[in-house]
Amino acid sequence: MTKRVLLHVGTPKTGTTYLQDVLFRNRERLVGHGICYPADRFDAHFLAALDLMKLPWGGLEAESLGAWERLAAAVRDAPDGSTVIVSHEILAHASRQQADAALASFGEGCEVHLLLSVRDLARQIPAEWQENVKHRSTLTYARFLARIQDPARDSQVGSWFWAVQELPDILDRWGHRLPPEQIHLITVPPAGSDRTLLWKRFSNAFGLDGLELDLRGERANPSLGVPETALLRRINLKANGVVAPADYRPLVRELLAHRVLSQRRGSPRLALPPDVAPWVEQLSRRWVEELRSRRYDVVGSLDELVGVTGDPTAYADPDRPRPRQVAAASVDVIEALLVENARARHEERRLHGELAELRDAYHRLEESRLQRRIYLRLERSLAGRVLLRVYRVVRGRSSRAA
Amino acid sequence: MTGPTAGASSSLTSTRGHGWAAHLREGGTTPWAAWTGEAYADGPLPGAEQLELLRRLNETGEVGPDLADRVQTTSAPGRGRRGLPLRGDGPPPAYGVAPVDPADLPAEELMRTAGLLLAEDLVAGLCDPEPRYRWRRRLRTRYRLVGDRWITGPLRDELVRKGRPQGGRGMTVYVVGAPLDELLTHVWTARCFGQGAIAFAPWLARARREDELGPRGDLRRIAGWWADRVGRERVEIVLDPSELPTLLGVGGRMPGPPRLAADAVEVARRVGPLLGLLVEPEEKARLLRRALLPRLRRAAAPGAAGPALAVPADDLDWVTERALTLRDGLLADGYAVHGDPDLLLPRERSGAAPAATPDPGGALALMLRLLVDGPRRSLS
Repeated sequence: MTKRVLLHVGTPKTGTTYLQDVLFRNRERLVGHGICYPADRFDAHFLAALDLMKLPWGGLEAESLGAWERLAAAVRDAPDGSTVIVSHEILAHASRQQADAALASFGEGCEVHLLLSVRDLARQIPAEWQENVKHRSTLTYARFLARIQDPARDSQVGSWFWAVQELPDILDRWGHRLPPEQIHLITVPPAGSDRTLLWKRFSNAFGLDGLELDLRGERANPSLGVPETALLRRINLKANGVVAPADYRPLVRELLAHRVLSQRRGSPRLALPPDVAPWVEQLSRRWVEELRSRRYDVVGSLDELVGVTGDPTAYADPDRPRPRQVAAASVDVIEALLVENARARHEERRLHGELAELRDAYHRLEESRLQRRIYLRLERSLAGRVLLRVYRVVRGRSSRAA
Repeated sequence: MTGPTAGASSSLTSTRGHGWAAHLREGGTTPWAAWTGEAYADGPLPGAEQLELLRRLNETGEVGPDLADRVQTTSAPGRGRRGLPLRGDGPPPAYGVAPVDPADLPAEELMRTAGLLLAEDLVAGLCDPEPRYRWRRRLRTRYRLVGDRWITGPLRDELVRKGRPQGGRGMTVYVVGAPLDELLTHVWTARCFGQGAIAFAPWLARARREDELGPRGDLRRIAGWWADRVGRERVEIVLDPSELPTLLGVGGRMPGPPRLAADAVEVARRVGPLLGLLVEPEEKARLLRRALLPRLRRAAAPGAAGPALAVPADDLDWVTERALTLRDGLLADGYAVHGDPDLLLPRERSGAAPAATPDPGGALALMLRLLVDGPRRSLS
């Protein structure tokens, strides 16, 4: 009886963070149903993906050393008849040789199913630009669009974007040795659909239907509106030179982007510019035609990959945002920074208090140590003992304690 | 694995690309544009960047089958294009990156795979041993060497070998300097062999823009830091390295800083981050200093492998201005100075000693030579 490996290799911005969060938090419960999600930390598969692809990522290199082999060993060690899930969206970036090496590392006797969650380019393009901005990029939307439209793809932005978003190519790299019935596409429902529909599709594709799982999402990768993204890009322009990468993540990405700016409602959403929309639609239709011809298993509908482009007159350009909207977002940011600063000041005061207490205790300890050393030294000689006796008489005490 | 249908993509057709790959595996050096032969497909074709790298290695020297195999199976690490199709090898693919003529690929793209292979060689090869002493001299001068790390590193190693490790009660802190233009190249070089650095030109441009020498180049800041800890009277500035043996109480000549061509430093800059993908940070630092540096010293002394690294002439006015400020600051602070304080100023350059900034083509050529030499098997 072979084991099944469900290998989910992308794509970014398709609800993968939520899926992985659910899988990680329910991993013990899943074992009872013969499903193994081998991870000792929530980002274990991310580190494994970095290791497989030899991809430097903001100083995580040392943590990712050997991570793929550990993951592959867990797959190999899983009992026959079980299902093992491996999931990270940046695996979409793997070269054909790296994909082959990954599949080979699972060993003999497993049936690999490749899963790819996919969303229409009309939403993926602005989402990828926004993700770049959330990772310190200062590139304008116009420049980002120009780079991804450059057929040479020799820029960092262009090569990365297509490596993780060009669906037929990702499936060529990862799936060229797999029969089509072992390749599953999960389409992200269009905007405005029932919010649970994507999870239902994931659940169906990963064989989780009917299992009682804790579906609360603790981690998510929320999106920002037009003025919020424009503001973040301007913050990057100012802050990149003075905020170290280790501080950027908690302060800018987590605090400002995720906890403040993504919570704002009513801002115009990022979209494709009207002049780019026809090119994207044409490309998307070509992909749909190609994917349909390959006869993969589809959870959802391939037609959903031809995105809906909005009313061109309502397009909000993030390179020319409305100053009033950016100003309103800026005020929210200032408020959040003040609150955070106040919290840090309180914490600093508390730590200062703790430090002062520790210092006092240390000095008292040092004093008593010194007294004891002097006492022991005096005790060693006759003159010292006489001196001690005189001292006690003078102090008016009869205790021998030093 | 029962799932994958092996060989689904490798049809038994004959292609020019596979013919070229076979030719390269046999040591061929014909450029892709001039190649006409064909061979049967025996699997997916490696990327054009891998094949061109193999061709350049064949041009450099004899490439063993192991290395040829590694080149063809190692994808370029990090971000950027990989698995590039060959232009003119059948109809262009409908998806993926556009086909290229491998001869057009910039050195930077070839160095990604070459650098990873070289990093693997360093992990597999031998290192110089860490310096050790048989016994520590009791009556030794107590000292600490700080400042220009490219100069102080070999000095410290030699002093350890002589049983004179630094530190100890009552030590004197010697802040070792050099002409500021050289000091700046030393700071960048030490970073390339340490925690890593951006390219030399933008690094220098940033220093100039911010009018800052940085924590490793600002001798006054270093001296001040130590003065706060050990007292100003125990901090001395050494600008004339010939005075160091006397100050440290040792006889004989002391080693100078390793002399490397600019391209050799660039090799270290590129290989360092790739080593970080293979080993822990401490091991990475050891391999850079004890494995790569000795190999580069043999293969890439200035002159033999290109000129030494130097601050471009356009930046010398700024460097001179900063050197004057530094000199005046150190004198005003009242430290003892060994050597003429004007030694901090950039030296006059003679036309006979060309100096340069790193060139990607030269760095790639050096990588190719080191790869052909293979992992270091002896400590000669």
